[in-house]
Amino acid sequence: MTSPTKPQHAAPGAPAPEATQPPRRTARRSRYTRQDWAGAGFVAPFLAVFVFSIVAPLLYALYLSFFQDRLIGGSFFTGLANYTKALADPLLHAGLGRVLLFLAVQVPIMIGIALFAALAIDSGRLRGSGGFRIALFLPYAVPSVVAALMWGYIYGEDFGLVGQVFDLFGATPPALLSGTWMLASIGNIVTWSFMGYNMLILYSALRVIPTELYEAAEIDGAGALRTAWSIKLPALRPALLLTVIFSIIGSFQLFNEPNVLRSLAPTTITTYYTPNMYAYNLAFNGQQYNYSAAVAVIVGLITVLVAYAAQRVSNRAETGRKSK
Amino acid sequence: MNTTRARLQRSTGIAATLALTLGLAACGGGDGDDTPGSADGVTVADIDAVLESDEEVTIEYWTWVPDIQDTVDLFEETYPHITVNVTNAGQSADQYTKLQNAVKAGSGAPDVAQIEYFALPQFALSEAVVPLSEVGLGDLEGEYAASAWDQVSVSGAQYGFPQDTGPMVMFYREDILADLGVEVPETWDDFVEVARAIKADNPDNYITSIDPGDAGGVDSLIWQAGGRPFSVDGTTVGVDFTDEGTQQWTELYDTLVQEELVDVTAGWNDAFWRSFADGKYAMWLTGAWAPGSIRNNIPTSEGLWRAAPMPTYEAGTPMNAENGGSAITVMQQSDKKAAALAFARWMTTSPEAVLSQSQAGLFPATTGIMEDPEFLGTEDPFFGNQKTNEVFVEASQSVSSGWQYLPFQVYANSVFGDTAGQALSNATPLADGLQTWQDEAVSYGAGQGFTMAD
Repeated sequence: MTSPTKPQHAAPGAPAPEATQPPRRTARRSRYTRQDWAGAGFVAPFLAVFVFSIVAPLLYALYLSFFQDRLIGGSFFTGLANYTKALADPLLHAGLGRVLLFLAVQVPIMIGIALFAALAIDSGRLRGSGGFRIALFLPYAVPSVVAALMWGYIYGEDFGLVGQVFDLFGATPPALLSGTWMLASIGNIVTWSFMGYNMLILYSALRVIPTELYEAAEIDGAGALRTAWSIKLPALRPALLLTVIFSIIGSFQLFNEPNVLRSLAPTTITTYYTPNMYAYNLAFNGQQYNYSAAVAVIVGLITVLVAYAAQRVSNRAETGRKSK
Repeated sequence: MNTTRARLQRSTGIAATLALTLGLAACGGGDGDDTPGSADGVTVADIDAVLESDEEVTIEYWTWVPDIQDTVDLFEETYPHITVNVTNAGQSADQYTKLQNAVKAGSGAPDVAQIEYFALPQFALSEAVVPLSEVGLGDLEGEYAASAWDQVSVSGAQYGFPQDTGPMVMFYREDILADLGVEVPETWDDFVEVARAIKADNPDNYITSIDPGDAGGVDSLIWQAGGRPFSVDGTTVGVDFTDEGTQQWTELYDTLVQEELVDVTAGWNDAFWRSFADGKYAMWLTGAWAPGSIRNNIPTSEGLWRAAPMPTYEAGTPMNAENGGSAITVMQQSDKKAAALAFARWMTTSPEAVLSQSQAGLFPATTGIMEDPEFLGTEDPFFGNQKTNEVFVEASQSVSSGWQYLPFQVYANSVFGDTAGQALSNATPLADGLQTWQDEAVSYGAGQGFTMAD
C-alpha cells in the first residue's frame, strides 16, 4: 500500500485521445452528455440509500436538537438552548473525560499488541502462523454484549474466575468491578475483542509489500529487525492510521461493555458513564429526545474533530519524513 | 388528531435518528398502526362477544413473569380461537424502554403488556394504555385487594388489571438462623442484633443484601418505615425525603451499611443467587412474588426457606409496604383491544387463572382467592411445608395506604444509582444521598413542565 497502482485504463468520462474522436463537435458533446447520465445512474442507488439512511437522519437529529418536548406542555422551539446546556453539562464532561482517558491508554496498548502480532505472524518465523491468525481474530467474532457478559463473570470477586484463582493462593482478589478498576476492566474487554481485528488490517497491509524490497534489503545485509523498522513500519503507516481512526471512533462510541457491566456495578457505572450511555439514557429513560439529539450531535462533532486531528498529525509527520 | 400524527411522525424519526446516529438498535416487534388516544369505542359487550365467537385472533403479550405460559395455556384451552403469543421483552426497565419506544414510534407495541405499579402513572400520562372506565370496566374494584386497586389508579381512573401485589415479606433461611441459635427477628432492633450475630460468626456473611441500583427496593423500605416522599396532585409534584418515616429508615440503614451488616451489591445476577445458595446471605426482604424466583434460580435450596412478616419499628404494630407488583395493561396501539381486554380480565379475575399464577409463585391481587381456605391452607414444600399464603395475606392486609409514585418514576429510578445509590456504595449518610436524588428528580420534573411543590 505504499502508493496506489496507477490506473491502466482511462477512467470513464475522461477525455479519450483526440485522434480517435470524430471531428464534429456536436456529436462529441452529445456523447459526453449521455455518459454523464450513465454515471449518475450507477451512483443513484448508493446515493439514495446514503441520503435516506445517513444524511436524512443526521439532518433530522440536528433539527430535533433545536426543540424541547415536555411531558406537560408539549414541544416548542428553543434555539441553541440544548447546546448551551450540553456544553455546560458536568455529566457530559465527565463522560467525555472518561472516554478520552480510555482513548489515550487503551488504544495505544491495543494497537501496539496488534502491531506486534501482525509483525510476528508476517515474520515467517512462527510455526503454524495461520492458527495464530485465526485464534487472535476469533474474539472479534464474539458479539460485544456476549463478550462483556462473559468477562463480567470472569471478573466476579466471589464466584468469578479471578476470585477463584486468587482464593486458590489465599489472596484477596482485586475488585475489578469497582471504581478504581472499572475503566481498566472495560479496556481489557475491548482490547480482547478488537485486537485481532486490528491485527488483521495490519497483517493484510504487510502482505502487499512487494517481495523485491525484502530481497533488496537482504542483499544490502539488513537483518529482520532492520527490515521491520525500515520497510514494514513505513509501509504500515496508512493502515495504522486507519486502525487509529477506527479506534478513536470506537472509543467515543463506547456503550455495550459498560452498559452490560452496569447490572453488576450499578453505582460504579453511572447512567452518564460514557457520552453514548448518557445520550441513550436521556432519550430512553428520561424521554429527553431533543436534548439527547444535541448531545449526540456534539459528541459526533468531537469525534470527527479528534479523528481529523489524528489524520492531520499523521499526514504532517509523513510529509516531514518525505522532505528530509 | 393532527398534533397526534405530527407527534407520531416526529417520534418515529427520533427513534430512527437515534438508532442510526448513535449506532443503537431500537427494539420492538409486532404490528398495529392505530393512533394512540382512543379505545376504539370498545364496550363490555364487545369484550364478552369476542370470547363467545369463534373468530381466530392472535394477540401479543409482553411479560417477564416466570412460568406464565402455564396460565396462558389454560386460557387457550378454554378459548381455542384466541392465540396468545408470550414474549419476554426484558425485565422491568428494559421492557419499559422498549414499550416507550414503541409508544413513541406509534407502532411495535404488543396488545397486552405487564407494567409494574410504579411505572403505570407514566404510561397513563402519555395515554399509552387503555383506562378501564373507557371500556366500561371501571366497576371491578371489589375484585381486587384495596392496595392493588389503589395502585392502578391514576387521577381517579384505573389503567390496568391488577395482576399481583408484592406485600413485603421477610424470607429467611431457617437452617442458618437455627445453626446460630437466634430467633426470627420481629422488630428492626432484633434484626440488627441477628445481623451482628451473623457477622460475628463469619465476617464474609451478611444478613441480606441491598442493591444500590434498585430504587424500588429502597422505596419499599421507606414506605414500610412510614415515609411518603412522593406526592402527586394533577401536574403538581412533590419530592421530599426529609419526613419522619424516611428519617427512621435512613437511621436504621446507616447503621446496617456502615457496620457492613448488609452487603451493598447488585441483585438479580448470578453472584446474587449463588450467595443465597451458599449461605452468604441469610435473608431476602422483598415482595411476596419472590417464591417463584427463588424456586427458579436456587432450586437446590428447597426446604430451607421460611417466610415471616417484615420486622417492625415498633413491636406489635405491623406496618407494611408493597414491593413491585404488576398490572396487566392493554395498549392503546392494539387493534385487537376487545380480545386483549378479555384476556387481561380473565387472567386477573378467573379463579383458575389466579390459582395457576399463584402456583407459579405470584401473590395474586384478586380478593376472591385470599379468603379461599384451599389457597390459605396450601403447604409449600419449598418452604418446609409452611402455609406461606397465610403469611402473605396477613402481609398484604397490613400494607399502609397513601403511597404515591411520581409520573416520571421510571426516570427517577434510573438515576437512583447515580445519586442515592452512591451513598449506599460509599457508606456515607443516606439522608445526603437521598437529597441528591431529590434534587435530580425535582430538576427533571421542573424541566418536564410539572409544577414542583416545595
